[in-house]
Amino acid sequence: MRRSGQGPHLAATVIQHAGEPDPDAIRKAADALGRRHSLLHARVRRSPVTFEAEWLPDPPAAVPVVIHETGNTAEIVKSILNSSSIDIFRPGPNLEIHLLTQGENHTIILLWPHSLFDAIGIDKLIAELDSTDPEPRHDWGETTNSSGSAAALWKTAHPMIEEMRTFPAANIRSLHQPKHTPGAACFEVLAFTQEETQTIHAKMARTVGELLKIPYFAALSARAVAEVIRSRDAEPPDILMSLPIQRIQNPSARPLFQNHMVAWSLLLPHQSLDGLATAAMALYRSYGSFMKRGLPVAMEALTKLSERCPSRLYLLPIKHYLKGEICSLFHSHIGNLAAHTETLFTRPILNAWHVPSVSTPPGIGVFFSERKARLTCTLSWREGSLNAAELVTLRQQLLTDLGVEAPLAP
Amino acid sequence: MESKLLQIIQDEILGSPEPLTPDSDLFEAGLDSMAIMQLLLHIEDHFQINLEPVDLSRENFRTATKIAALITSKR
Repeated sequence: MRRSGQGPHLAATVIQHAGEPDPDAIRKAADALGRRHSLLHARVRRSPVTFEAEWLPDPPAAVPVVIHETGNTAEIVKSILNSSSIDIFRPGPNLEIHLLTQGENHTIILLWPHSLFDAIGIDKLIAELDSTDPEPRHDWGETTNSSGSAAALWKTAHPMIEEMRTFPAANIRSLHQPKHTPGAACFEVLAFTQEETQTIHAKMARTVGELLKIPYFAALSARAVAEVIRSRDAEPPDILMSLPIQRIQNPSARPLFQNHMVAWSLLLPHQSLDGLATAAMALYRSYGSFMKRGLPVAMEALTKLSERCPSRLYLLPIKHYLKGEICSLFHSHIGNLAAHTETLFTRPILNAWHVPSVSTPPGIGVFFSERKARLTCTLSWREGSLNAAELVTLRQQLLTDLGVEAPLAP
Repeated sequence: MESKLLQIIQDEILGSPEPLTPDSDLFEAGLDSMAIMQLLLHIEDHFQINLEPVDLSRENFRTATKIAALITSKR
């Protein structure tokens, strides 16, 4: 999702710890980590023949550890998300570890590119972070995503292309504003307490049951974005969700690097957005329809085709069909973050969340995760996509649907 | 019914070589949020029932035995 002029597509993972940090232990682990995994110092090159991207490893080196003497977590995350210190097309590290001491506690921030990791990969990375083993590892999961001939892929992808050709009939909108030049990546984190999370889960259970977590959180994210669009336009928007779906069903078989998730395009007509339960059930039915019509295979083929060219090229036909949009928002609920990691460098983890950056269009992302029965929501946008009043509208609609008040800042 | 459910879960949803029994904890076996949606769609298709929000509890879906009991009660 790198866009011309919008910088690298980076994400940060914030891990709050109890107690003072052990910088020496972190540096030793960062050194070993960089030597274990050659992809942490590798860059992408496209084949001049097939245009397929491949990773070219550079000599192994320590993962950089940056110690921040001043500042708070939000300031540091905003600064590093908007830096260009990680660029997958240039030599250099593909992971940075930032360390910030705050009173008696400390925070570790991982900065990473979406081209190399996703939330599953970062979970696996956190699980092996606290290690001084420098032995190179090659058993970190499937990496070959052989795509086959372009002609065969096109044939397989055709049903999805036909599906996309139906989208222009809808009024698909995002928070992207073509007249505004995309600015810095911005975000706000809503970290709920265990009690608030219980309240949120109880409302979900009453509304759609305990199990439809994905459509429920996607629907309330869609409704919040739609509320902002309604405040701009008289015409109600249809919302096109781009939901990331894991390609590999068995969680234990998912790799550390390059999961290559597939994004499913699911349309929520404006009529379905009037109520939260209606929206969630519409999304669930849309998901079912997508499955039954065999579109996941077509979407995976289309994704493989698109990987053969830079995003600014493969997005052109999408933007043409969707009148300048690619989807209405980015969204995910990744479930539990680092569920099997209690401590790092002997210090207990208090809470953790991701801060993905987004491009424009769509200019907005609403992301959820949980850690020890605490829900966190990260609102992510680009300057120029959302003004201060609209952020209030977005946040308030989310909180209303979640059924809680705004939490204290994390 | 339990064996049919286990076949769906093991072959079409989890894709796991780990054998499951009617009383295996399906959430511990890897039935995550996405997998549960696939399972619900399979159940609605195979057994021709409509599930209500009140039916969609973790307890009702913890094992194949419990899912079979829910399906029977909805027929």
